[in-house]
Amino acid sequence: MNTSLPQAARIGAIRHLTDDTALFTLQLDERPAEHQSSPAHFQPGQFLQLSVAGAGEAPISYCGFPSSDGSIELCIRKAGRVTAALHAAALGDQVAVRGPFGHGFPLSHYAGQDLLLMAGGLGMAPLRSLLLALLHQRERYGRLTLLYGAKAPEALLFRHELADLASRKDLQLRLAVDRAGECPPGLPDCRVALLPALLEGLTVDPQRTVVALCGPPAAYRFLVPPLLERGIPPQQIHLSLERRMHCGMGHCGHCAVGTLLCCTDGPVFAYSALQTIEGAL
Amino acid sequence: MTLSALSYNDLPLVLARLQTLGELHAPLRGSDGAVRFGPLPPGAQPDLTAQRSLLPPKKYLLAPSETILTYHPATGYQAPPQPETPLILLGLHPCDLAAIAYLDRLFMAADSPDPLYTARRERLILIGASCTPDQYCSCHQMPSPLPAACDLFLHQQADGLLLHVESPKGQLLREALQDLLQSTPAQQPPASTRDHFGSASVATSHEELDPNLPDWQQLADHCLGCGACSICCPTCSCFEVLEFGGLDGCSAERLRRWDNCLFKSHSEVAGGHSFQKDRAQRFRYRYRHKYRGYGQLRGLPTCVGCGRCRVQCPTGLDLRPLAERLERSTP
Repeated sequence: MNTSLPQAARIGAIRHLTDDTALFTLQLDERPAEHQSSPAHFQPGQFLQLSVAGAGEAPISYCGFPSSDGSIELCIRKAGRVTAALHAAALGDQVAVRGPFGHGFPLSHYAGQDLLLMAGGLGMAPLRSLLLALLHQRERYGRLTLLYGAKAPEALLFRHELADLASRKDLQLRLAVDRAGECPPGLPDCRVALLPALLEGLTVDPQRTVVALCGPPAAYRFLVPPLLERGIPPQQIHLSLERRMHCGMGHCGHCAVGTLLCCTDGPVFAYSALQTIEGAL
Repeated sequence: MTLSALSYNDLPLVLARLQTLGELHAPLRGSDGAVRFGPLPPGAQPDLTAQRSLLPPKKYLLAPSETILTYHPATGYQAPPQPETPLILLGLHPCDLAAIAYLDRLFMAADSPDPLYTARRERLILIGASCTPDQYCSCHQMPSPLPAACDLFLHQQADGLLLHVESPKGQLLREALQDLLQSTPAQQPPASTRDHFGSASVATSHEELDPNLPDWQQLADHCLGCGACSICCPTCSCFEVLEFGGLDGCSAERLRRWDNCLFKSHSEVAGGHSFQKDRAQRFRYRYRHKYRGYGQLRGLPTCVGCGRCRVQCPTGLDLRPLAERLERSTP
């Protein structure tokens, strides 16, 4: 498949999650065949390039579960030119997508492991994709924990889904917020704390735990050290990096992290691959 | 027998013949004294003794600014059509040929080819020419693993040219020029600057760069941030992508334009966060690409020693002395 040519898609659904963030469901105009390479066939942690004509293109993480019907869920905050144009668009409007790009979370290595997911802010978007994949085959994995931090209770994404998760017996959910506020019904208490504080009192078996981290770039510097202190090996800490990525194919030269490229070597990296690289986190 | 002789007197006939086979571009000295690759007017002579062109031949493969996609609601995004007639570049020095070999590896990788680059590359016929290094050249000081690959190569000798066939395309050209060429007793191409390219033994260091070396800050302190070094670099290929909506309110055009890793905007993402905030850090970014390579081409240094950045830098900055220290001191 030509991954440099955007494929037409339409906005099939828009679900507003917070005042500046919404879940968009896109429907490819041409439904892909089952095993065909397609922007709708991806691994959690990979990304696509979203085009809004006239505004341009932006790299966006997949947020949903890989579908067979050509639909794609993207959780998008209004942050730049392309995402603002998308937020101004209406149901049925045409957009275009290229992808999937990069390496996602290595799910096949997660079987039998305890999974600790830590999301900060919009980092919940790619981790929702991972979480849906883990829950889809829940029996394959050990203990499952989601620690999620946001600015305030009203900034928590997917609040209804979080309430469903909170009622599950096979998943532990802890929430943290920077600013106190009224906690949405059905959710566990939102602690006024930074995300790493949610690790306190959590039982972690460092040898059989894989941590999937996703948060704003600055957050990694204080998220990783407490995990290392708990004895989790660097190769079992997987995090998704954000960089400027124009092409997704290793050509445009903008996303180098040391001599790795975020778009083709990542965007999900093991911390062990990054720990000696200046400016990676 | 892949070597033929060509007398300098017959060169105009060869050029005229080449012009019947495709569009012929060659180095030409302008009235401002600068040498540029451009279309050779009928009857004109290229400047085959010129040291280096102002812009490298990458401009033929990756234009300074070019439309990569057009959009219309009825058709979606479409790639613009590309000309297919052959474009013959004559007089490329080995360093520029090696640079094209690098761009080929980057933009024509089997798993992710760039269609626009590929279309342009396929119409190119490369005729290399031997050269004499000057004080800015460094191919002879630091050999490159990139091969100076071409279709035909012209060895400039005192008494004429020796023409060496390098590819099937080159063989076809030679056949078309057959009646203008003479046989030669030479069995092997003479030694030339080409010999500094394509050496398999060049290794790069895999250690991370030490950000505490004072050199980075010294470079940063003298850099004006003008971007000349990457405009003139034959292997600098960073591009940014821009999109403009049409005045009809529904069509759009997407462009790519040369970018420079020494600009702060190079690493900025939506929301304004920059991943390479200080200039010393950006020099390391540039250094890694020039001497270590990145992504799938990690371990492949991209500096071909053409000397353009040394000539063009308004404050005379030069990464080479540092590279000679850092890359040679490691096993």
